[in-house]
Parts: sequence; structure tokens; C-alpha cells
Amino acid sequence: MEYTIFTILPIFLLPFLAFVLGSFIVKRSEKLAMAISTVSIFVSFLFSAKIFSDFIFSQFSKDYYIHKYFNWFDLSSQGLEFSVDLGIYIDNMAAVMLLMVTGVATLIHVFSIWYMADDKKYGKFFVYLSLFTSAMIGLVLSDNLLSLFIFWEIMGFCSYSLIGFYHEKEKAGEASLKAFMTTRVGDVIFLLGIVAIWGVIGTVNYVDIYSAIANGVFEGKMVLGISLATFAGFCIFAGTVGKSAQFPLQVWLPDAMMGPTPCSALIHAATMVAAGVYLSLRMYPLMELGGITPFIACVGGLTAFGAATIALVQTDLKAVLAYSTISQLGYMVLGVGVGAYNAAFMHLITHAIFKACLFLSAGSVIHSLHDHQTHDHVQEMPRMGGLKTKLPLTFLAMMACTLAISGVPLFSGFVSKDRILGDALYMAMTNKVYWVAYLLGALGAGLTAFYMFRMMFLTFFGAPRDEDVYKHCHKESLKWNRNVPLLLLSIFTLGIFFSGSPSGQGIVKFGGEKYEWFKVLMVKPIPKNFTTYSKEKLSTQDNRDKILWPKSSYESHDYGLNEEDEHRLHTAHIISAIASVVIASIGILIAFLMYIRQSFSSERIISRAAKFYKILVNKYYMDHFYIKIVIRRGLLKFNRLLANFDLGIYDRYAIDGWEHISRYCYRIADFFDRYAVDKIGVDGFGFVIKDVLNKGLRFLLAGKVQFYFIVLFLVLAFYMFRISTA
Amino acid sequence: MYNLLNWILWLPVIGMIGICFIQKEKKDMIRYAALLTTFLTFGLTILLYLNFDNSVGGIQKSFSVTVPWIPQFNIYYRLGIDGISLPMTLLTGLLFFLCILSSWTVEKSVKAFFALLLMLESAVFGVFFALDFFLFYVYWEVMLLPMFFLIGVWGGENKEYAAVKFFLYTFFGSLLMLVGIIALYYAAGKGDNAFNILALSGGRWSDLSISLFGTEWAFDKLFFWLMFIGFAIKVPVFPFHTWLPHAHVQAPTAVSVILAGVLLKMGTYGFLRIAYPIFPQASVYYADFVALLGLINVLYGAFCAMAQTDVKRLIAYSSISHMGFVMMGLSAMTPQGMNGAVLQMFNHGTSTAMMFLLVGILYERSHHRWIIRPDGSKGFGGIASHLPKFTLIFIIGMFASLGLPGLSGFISEALIFLGIFEKYTAFTVMAALGLLIGAAYLLWMYKRMFFGEVNPDIKGYKDMNKREIFYMLPLCVAVIFFGIFPAPLLNIMKASVGQLVTLLDR
Repeated sequence: MEYTIFTILPIFLLPFLAFVLGSFIVKRSEKLAMAISTVSIFVSFLFSAKIFSDFIFSQFSKDYYIHKYFNWFDLSSQGLEFSVDLGIYIDNMAAVMLLMVTGVATLIHVFSIWYMADDKKYGKFFVYLSLFTSAMIGLVLSDNLLSLFIFWEIMGFCSYSLIGFYHEKEKAGEASLKAFMTTRVGDVIFLLGIVAIWGVIGTVNYVDIYSAIANGVFEGKMVLGISLATFAGFCIFAGTVGKSAQFPLQVWLPDAMMGPTPCSALIHAATMVAAGVYLSLRMYPLMELGGITPFIACVGGLTAFGAATIALVQTDLKAVLAYSTISQLGYMVLGVGVGAYNAAFMHLITHAIFKACLFLSAGSVIHSLHDHQTHDHVQEMPRMGGLKTKLPLTFLAMMACTLAISGVPLFSGFVSKDRILGDALYMAMTNKVYWVAYLLGALGAGLTAFYMFRMMFLTFFGAPRDEDVYKHCHKESLKWNRNVPLLLLSIFTLGIFFSGSPSGQGIVKFGGEKYEWFKVLMVKPIPKNFTTYSKEKLSTQDNRDKILWPKSSYESHDYGLNEEDEHRLHTAHIISAIASVVIASIGILIAFLMYIRQSFSSERIISRAAKFYKILVNKYYMDHFYIKIVIRRGLLKFNRLLANFDLGIYDRYAIDGWEHISRYCYRIADFFDRYAVDKIGVDGFGFVIKDVLNKGLRFLLAGKVQFYFIVLFLVLAFYMFRISTA
Repeated sequence: MYNLLNWILWLPVIGMIGICFIQKEKKDMIRYAALLTTFLTFGLTILLYLNFDNSVGGIQKSFSVTVPWIPQFNIYYRLGIDGISLPMTLLTGLLFFLCILSSWTVEKSVKAFFALLLMLESAVFGVFFALDFFLFYVYWEVMLLPMFFLIGVWGGENKEYAAVKFFLYTFFGSLLMLVGIIALYYAAGKGDNAFNILALSGGRWSDLSISLFGTEWAFDKLFFWLMFIGFAIKVPVFPFHTWLPHAHVQAPTAVSVILAGVLLKMGTYGFLRIAYPIFPQASVYYADFVALLGLINVLYGAFCAMAQTDVKRLIAYSSISHMGFVMMGLSAMTPQGMNGAVLQMFNHGTSTAMMFLLVGILYERSHHRWIIRPDGSKGFGGIASHLPKFTLIFIIGMFASLGLPGLSGFISEALIFLGIFEKYTAFTVMAALGLLIGAAYLLWMYKRMFFGEVNPDIKGYKDMNKREIFYMLPLCVAVIFFGIFPAPLLNIMKASVGQLVTLLDR
């Protein structure tokens, strides 16, 4: 199979064309826009599946990648070389990512057909969804940081528009503004990182960056007193922090739930927020070189734990899921920090699947519940309960995902999360800094199990707490566009799809390397493999021999470690797996005792730890700090001060003040004119002369600023040139 | 006399004279005449683009005109065009055409209004084409006249003040420039080429010194500053910027568009055409300072914009901020930075023109521009629900203005950042804050005006009509097209910019 632009570009172009076409026809026919959008993403999925199967199953699995580029613009002239190339780069990671993005997007499109059917603007929704999907695909296909950034920001725009989709709500406006601006903080720093690399090594191509690292180009380069690799690594990680909602920029994601639920599932759970992690993985060699991995691990651990604690006290169904997303993204970042490259990426994929499913299920629940007073959907868990019998299929899907996210063995979340924690434990054994990350991560896992089951119990079990809402909820029957996406996604929450070892740690193992495809095929990029390397221009024809370059070589040992370390790693994994299972069971058990058996009530705990509860409900006062203190008291006050200074003081006195000065000059001249010249000098000469001179002078000195300028400068010029020519 | 530059330059004048002969009651006829003139002119600028040779840097011989004008003083009518003035020419042609369309609703002395607009167009072209310093100065001054009246007669409630302020400020700057022009005339020996900008360029003046008030001054450094202030007022660069908020707020829509879209670029164009090539050593010597002023512009403009409650003034301050990026790019003296600066001049022209036109459209309906009224209530609110077409175009303009990748503003800002990063790392990091605040004030404004319940005051507004959509479309297309394919524009300018960079590099 050869790859030409005809087999790769449609993946990106189909949703993009659907967006273009859709935005023109959406006014005529919303239905048509919807259909185009859905069909295009499905066809795009088929193309991705082809690439995926070629990469993962077929002959060239390990060492094949596609890299083509075209020239975007070229500024070379007069011997100064500068051109910007954009291109496509597909390796194993991109191939898996493509399949995930298009697959999840297709299912979410299908689900949206049901979910958005009653909405007046559903055509517009699909148009945005198409733009978003094409941008996400573009991001995955990108071979360089610049085009990645372009698509990154377009996704940010889509996210902004979809959060503000219900623009008649004041809150939607606030949430969308907050989301865009918070991520923008990270993005601007990210752009600086890109510019730093670009300016110093002359390219932002991933592969060029790897080879620059291997060739030692980064060595000795300093930016603002710190090494370039650290600066750039930090800046790029800031992009991840913004987009993947890590501490301290996590505040936007919970508010982002103002958007329609399918968009939360696609953008704010499965794909866009994960793009931040994808970026960190792509730039992993740079982070390593810059020595910021311990920092990354700690940020990840802190986020994973902190968000989980906030999720404990949320009552809104979507809010719980939002915090759990932040927390899970924290695990991925933690994975990047501890060097668990393939585990972090695996968690990205497994999380995308189970979290998309969770959100869709939540959407299915919310859409079924109505409040007949306000005509709104019900999102509050205290008003749910006992929905298991009314919504059996949704319950099934949601339960599978909850098991996965809680880290129950045999499910996908367990495999990926515990690999991350295992590696974190191993790193902690070698470097004490990582203990923080591991412990936070492990504790967070227990909290995750607790709050997820709390959510399940509150929603589906027990007696209905709001009879009215419960009565009006229709019994669910199997619908292709409502339940099929849910059930399909929930099937893939099984660990068996990702690993031959359902327990994740190799305690129980099926088959050999073949079943560990994820571990075998997603390997850290090793910069030295990229030292000799040449690019291929994008064309309609391809010569496969030319583009076969060694990508990376899989070592039979996981990390190329010696036997002793290998043993320690293995031990760490087993310890952490057992610890995780124990912690998760405790979490589930407590949730069970609290909400099903009601052995002890949550109210009593809340009243006991009222202070702590208040802190959690207020999200550690971070929103308060940012909005009230940083923005209102700091930034806006400063801005008002500056604006008042600008027009009120500077312009009024320093600029318009000249008018007063010229008035005074005029008065002095007038006085001189009237008394000195007029009375004494002129009166002596008689009436006629007096009148002429007086009027003439008055005309000259009538306070006309421009006239003074003319005189001033003509005189000045005259003197200057007399001197200069002399 | 078949020469495109002549035609472009004089066609608006012909139109203006034609309009003078139309009876003033025939308002529609006047409008169509003005429209036809600007349309033809725009067509000619396109023709110019099609005949332009991208591969050649510097002034293109095939378009040059040299005719003696006042031979006693060696003043010539010299026109020419290169890759830096061509994008500005295209922008001017387009914006004037659109402005005529947007001024269809002007009812007060229609004849004078359109005649003055056409006169302004000719003067603007004159500035971009002139290669004779004296001619340049003449056009630079001629441009003030229609501007003065357009603001002073058709402006808002405080128009006289704004017009006089605009006039005095710019006049002050041009006098400094005049001194420089005369100085160069003498220094060049009053000869045949003493007013020839091209002949004066190249850095001949670095060894010269001049004694003034008893001390020795380096000739090029002293006169670089005179030129600098003259152009800086136009850009406007930080301490000389306060005319802009007044002029923008008071000016009628079309004039705001021209002011922000084209006239501000004349300042930076002055640097590229005159200050830099004539005094390259001094430009390099003072580059740090210029970069600092650019940075101050970026941040100061952005911070001030954030506090505004008047939409037009907000956009006026955002112009100050965006022109700061151009100044920073100019001080980079690298191909990336310089090309980025010229590209930013064009892109800012399109995006800010969109913003001003949109605000004008809104103003025609609301007759006020308050985001938040002085009493604290919202001036608008819920526009997104009530005026969908307007909202869509506003989103495009706003995101182009804040530099969303995929729209035109981004690539020029990225190039500027890239150009200055190595030389002024700390400045770049601080300028990044400008990008952040730049998004903040626009989106915050958008939130306050477009989201929420429909304000009862705006219930009566009609959505954009066909004419309004028609004149917004070319700009929408331009910001999207040049965001995705900047190459056509960059190809025009790169050879000429490259030449300038090599000159400065020496």
C-alpha cells in the first residue's frame, strides 16, 4: 500500500469541506448540514481505519512512518534564507490517535443527531463540530509545531463557540470567555516556546527538533539566562497546562460544561483537552533534555489529586465528569512526567473512549429528565435516583465506563492508569521528588473510585428523590442514534483491546508481544534515530522505498534497562497494581456504604468537616482569586487607571496644555503690542501706522498654534542651514 | 501617457472634478459616480498587481515616471512602486471602494463628502507612489486637508476639537519632516537628485556632522529623529498617540476606516521608504529604542483598550496596540520581522477596517456606541440572538483582529515575534502579554455586547442589508484567504524587503 495525498488528505479535508459546505447551506437546510457533517466524518473514519490497520497490523508495523511536506511560504531573497514548510507526519502514535479521533467523533456525531434534534440551531452545531473535528485531525497529522499551533487555536475557537452555543444565556458568555482566555494564557506562552525553537534552530518540525537534540544543537544555547531546552520545554508544557486544564489553569474546564453535552464529550473530554497531552508526548525528548520532567510529574499529580477532591462534593452530573476529566488528564501528564510514554498515551486513548461514553450517557440521562416548572433539563444528582430501571441501556454503558475509570481490573482504565502509577512508583524509588507525584496519584485513584460510584449510586440506584422528574422520564428503548454509540464505546472499555494482560501488570498474561501491541508500537522517540534524515515533498505519487526510515527500535526490555532495574520496575508495577486495587476497592466500598447501605450519611461528614467542605465547594478559591483579585482588583483597576491617565492627564495637560501656553504667549504679546508698541511707539507715529501695525500683529499672534509651529521651524531650519552650509 | 501609476493617482481626481459638476440634489448620481471612480481605481490597482514582477526587488522600472516639475529647485514628479508600496496600494484601492459603499447613508452635504473622499484617495496614493521627497511632502500635507474637513464637518458630537487636534499633531510632525527634507536637500548639494528619495538612500550621510547651538551633531542621527517623530505621530507611536482616540471616535465610519486602515500605515511606510533607507546606520543605532517604543505601544494600547466603554475608542486603542507590533517588527531588521511588519500593515488594514465598518453599521441603528453606558447599564446585549448575520461577520473580524491562526492577523504577528525573538528576547516575552490582553478586551467586549438576553433597546434593529453584506464580504474573504495562504502577499514584498534588510545589515 502506498500513501499519496489522495489517501491521507481526505481524512482532514472531508470534515473541513463539510464545514465549508455546511456553513453555506445551514440556513437553507439544517438537516442537510447535519447529514453532510456526519457522513464526512464517517468516511474520514474509514480512511483512518485503513491507515491504522496498515500501521498496526500489517507488514510495516514498527519502523514505518509517513512524512511529506509542502512549502507554505518562502521569504528567501537577497541570500537570506527563510521558508516555512508544513507537512504530514504519521507514525504509530498518530495512526492510533487518528483512529480514536475519527471513531469517537463519528459516534458523537451520531449521538448528536438524537441529542440535538429538538434544538433550533442543530445545523449550526454540526457545522462547528465539523470544523472542530477537521482541526483536531489536522493537529494529529501535523509534522511541526507551527501547524499544530494553528489547529490548536482553531480548536480553541470551536470550543469557545460551542461553550457559548446558547448565547442567550449570560452564563454561557462568561464560561466561553473564561475558557478561551484561560487557555490563551497557556497558548501565548506556547507560542513563545515555538518562536524560541524556531528562532534558534531554524525549524519547528518534530523530526528536525529530534535530530537537533541528537546533534547537540541545543547545547549551550541560552534564552533569558536559562537553557533553551528548558525555556522551550517549559513554554510548550504551558500550552499543555492550558489546553489540558492542568493546575493552575484548570479553572476553565468545569465552566465549559455550559455547552451542549455532545460537545463536552468530544471537545472537553475525548479530543481537544487530550491534545495537550499529545503535544507533551510529541515533545517528550525536549522536556527530558530541558530537565523539567519532575516538574511535569508534580503538576500532573497535583491536578489528578486536587480535581478528584473537588469532584467529591459536586452535585451536578456534568460537573463531576468535568472534574474527573481534569483529574484523568492529570494522570496522563503525570505519566509524561515519569517517562511512562506509552502508558500515558494509552491512558489518553482509553480515557477518550470511556470519558466520551460517560458524557454521552450523562447526556442521555439529562435529556430524559425534565423540570416542568422551568422547562429545563435536570442535571442535579440530588433530583435523580432510581433511574436504573428507566434507562437500562444508558446504565449499562455508564457502569462499564465507571468501572474503567475507577481502575477495576479487566477494564481499560486499570491497564493504563496503573502502568502510569507503576512507573511513577519506580521513578519514586530512584528519585525522591517523584514520591509526591506517585502518592498524589495513588490517593487520587481512590478518590476517583469513590466519586464515580457516588455518581452512579446517586443517579441510578436507590429511590427516586424527585418523584415528578422521575415520573416524566420515559422508559428507554434501543435507538440506533442514542444507544448504539454508547454501547459501542462501552465495549471498548474492556482492557483486552489494549493489552494482553488484563490486569495490566503482566501478572496474568495472554499471548506474547502481539497482544501487547500498544506497548510494542508506542515507543519514546529516540533522538539519535533521527540524526540522518530527509524529508519528502508532498506529491500525488510516492516511492515507498524512499520513505522507509528507521523510526525507532523496540528493545525487548521495556526501557533498555539492566536486569536489576528491570526487576525493580517489575516489582514496582506489581506493588502499585495491588495498591491500586486495594485503594479503588476501599473507595468503592465507602461509596457503597454511604449511598446504598447508608451506614453513615454524607451530611454528617459534611457538618463535621464544614470548613474543608466549604473549601472544596469553592474549588480552593481559585476562581475567586483569579476573577476577583487578579482580574477585577489588579488588571481592570490598572487598566482604568492607565486609560484615565492617558486621556485625563497626559492628553489633557501634556498635549492640550500647549494650547494654554500659547494663550499665555498670546497675552504677553498682546500686552506688549498694546502698551509697549501701541501706546508708546506707535502713537508717536500717528493713527494710520498704528492701526496697520496693530492689526497685523494681532493677526500674527492670534493664538494659532500651527502658525507658531511654522514660524518656529522655519526659523530653526533657516539657522541650521546657514550653519551647515557655512 | 499610458502609465498605470498616473492613472491610479489621477483617476480619483478626475472623479472628484466630475462630482463637482453634478447638481447637489442628485445625491444618488454623486454616490454612483464616486463608486464608479473608486471601483475603476481598485480595478487598476489589481491590474498593477497583475503586471508586477515579484522576483525583482526595489522600484520597478516599468512603472516609474519622472517628469520635471519645478526644475529651478530640481523638484521632479517622480512616481514608482515596489513590493512594499504595492500591498498598501491594493489595500487603499480596496478600502476606498468599500468606504464609498459604506457611506451610502451619509445625507449631509453628499457632494462635498464624496469629493473630499476622492481627493483623500488620490493623496494617499500619492504618498505611496512618490519618490521625490518634495512630492512626498506635498501629498503628505494635501492628505490633511480632506481629513480635517471630513472629521470636522461630518464627525460626531466633539468633531471640531478632534479635527483641530488631528491637524495640529500631524502638522507638527510634518514640519519636523520638512526640516529634514530641506537639510537633506542642502546636504546633497542642491543638485539634480537632491529630492530624489532613491538617490538619497543607501546610507551616504553617516560621516556627516552638523554644528548646531555650538555643539557637533551627527547628521544622520539628528535627522533620523526629526523624520522619526514625523512618522511616529502618524503611526502613532506612544508619546504621540493621543490624537488617535479622539479622531477615531469623532470621525464618520468611512473616515475611521481609512484612518485606521490606510493612514496609520503611512507612518510605518515612511520608515520603510524614507527613514530606514536614507539613514540606515542611525536606524540600526536606535533600533533598540524603537523596539522599546513598539513594546510600549503594544502594552499601553492593549491596557487602555481594556478599560474603554466606547466600542470605537476600544478599537482605536487596539489599533495603537497592533501598530506597536509593526514597530517591533521594523526594529528587528531581519527578513522575518520586516516581512511580518509589512504583512501586519496589510492585515491590520483589513481586520481593523472590518471592525470599524461593523461598528459603523451598528451605530447607524443604535446612534450610540456604549458597551456599558455611563450609568452602568449595558448599551447592547443579546445581539447574537437578534442579529445573526451581523454576529457572524463580527466574529470573523474580531478573531482576525485578535490573531486567531487561520485568519490573517496570526501569521504576521508570528513572523514579527520570530523576527525579534533573538535580538529582543525580553521584549518578545513582554509583547506576548499584548497578545493575551488583545484577546481579552475584544472577547470581553463581545461578551458584553452579544451574549445574554436581548436588550429591549436593540429589538428594533434590522440585520445587515444586502449592501452592507456586499461590502463586508471582500474583507471577510481577504482575512480568511490571507490567513490560510499568506504566500501571494509575501511574494510581492519579500524581494523589496530583502533589499532593505541587506541595506540595514551592512
